[in-house]
Amino acid sequence: MEEVRRMRPLLGTYVEVFARAADAAPAVDAAFAALALAQQRWSTQDPASELSRLNRDRQIAAGRDTLRLLRLARRMMTASSGAFDCTLGSGSVQDIVIGSDRVRLERHAQLSLDGIAKGYAVDLAISALRRAGAASGWVNAGGDLRVFGDARLPVVRRELDGSMRPLGVINNAALASSRVNDEADDFPALIVGAPHKGVHSVMARFAWRADALTKVAANTARADRANAVARLGGMLMEMQ
Amino acid sequence: MSNPHRNWHAFFLPVAALCAPSAYATDYLTVAQAQAQMFPGARFAEATLKLTGEQKDRIKAASGMRQRWDEQKVWRADKDGKLQGWLLVDEVIGKHEFITYATAISPEGRVTGVEILSYRETHGGQIRDAAWRKQLVGKTVADPFKLDQDVQNISGATLSCRNVTDGVHRLLAIHQLYLKG
Repeated sequence: MEEVRRMRPLLGTYVEVFARAADAAPAVDAAFAALALAQQRWSTQDPASELSRLNRDRQIAAGRDTLRLLRLARRMMTASSGAFDCTLGSGSVQDIVIGSDRVRLERHAQLSLDGIAKGYAVDLAISALRRAGAASGWVNAGGDLRVFGDARLPVVRRELDGSMRPLGVINNAALASSRVNDEADDFPALIVGAPHKGVHSVMARFAWRADALTKVAANTARADRANAVARLGGMLMEMQ
Repeated sequence: MSNPHRNWHAFFLPVAALCAPSAYATDYLTVAQAQAQMFPGARFAEATLKLTGEQKDRIKAASGMRQRWDEQKVWRADKDGKLQGWLLVDEVIGKHEFITYATAISPEGRVTGVEILSYRETHGGQIRDAAWRKQLVGKTVADPFKLDQDVQNISGATLSCRNVTDGVHRLLAIHQLYLKG
């Protein structure tokens, strides 16, 4: 078994991939390729991405991964009563029409997948590692991370005051964090009201869910936060 | 949506620690390893650029980025007598991070790879919360976890890779101005 660990700039952040496999370097390359493809498809920054084209053209032909991502986003928006919201402005889930091979947006709905796409990309990269024969590893996209196999990843979080707080060791799970300072521009997709200041970390089985649930955490009052996240399949990491 | 009573503690080991690391650092590749990976089978010749003030101004004008360093590390990659491209090693300094990275550029001026060689992130030190720190004193570490090993940063706000992507644009300008045949 060999071990390879690499870091590259992607998805607007630094992404680290670690793989333990008989032939680890190609597995790591496959993971980065999956991440690059995700960026190409769902970036809000890139006017040529599928997402940008959908927002502009109102309808696109879409492949399996895009359809799945949109279904997950729409389902989470409904299940969270809008605490997770993939629409910008006044859109609703009904405006997102998902067919077997295409997607259409109705009325004036505009989508942002910033609250879920990075986590989903991490999941795709983990799948790529597995398909390439990796026995264990992780993908860490600037804090949206997932660990599989017998790998154990110690994690530390930067707090609002800049200090570093050790969170623990992750094994066979995903973790995501979102920070809310005073500025609301950390969150491109907001519902009514401002998110709650703080750093919110959520564990889940899949990175897409951990990612999406950090938005639920940030948009839920403290007293309800842990329950809201647990009802949606995650665990809020509460630190005293 | 799913089972709210899932036992998360099978997937998460709380850390008992007496201190937090003051810096996080990982070395991924040496220059030689990056060369071998990014231009397999090639031979490398050092072609370090020593830049005058005027040259630095031209780089700034072409890329929009300030050329901080007077010296830019460059290697020319050749295979079977044919130019394969250029490997440039650069450093960027951010608010909390210091990163050394390699960029592979094809003879025509296309980026064919970017690899972080070393990543260092620093911060102002201590565990912030005195009450939390008190909880940890006297505890034993159930899991053999040493905080002075590699510790992953998961910054609450995503750390932007803007510094490196800006750097790559600057390196492309350098290639266009001073390396391209």
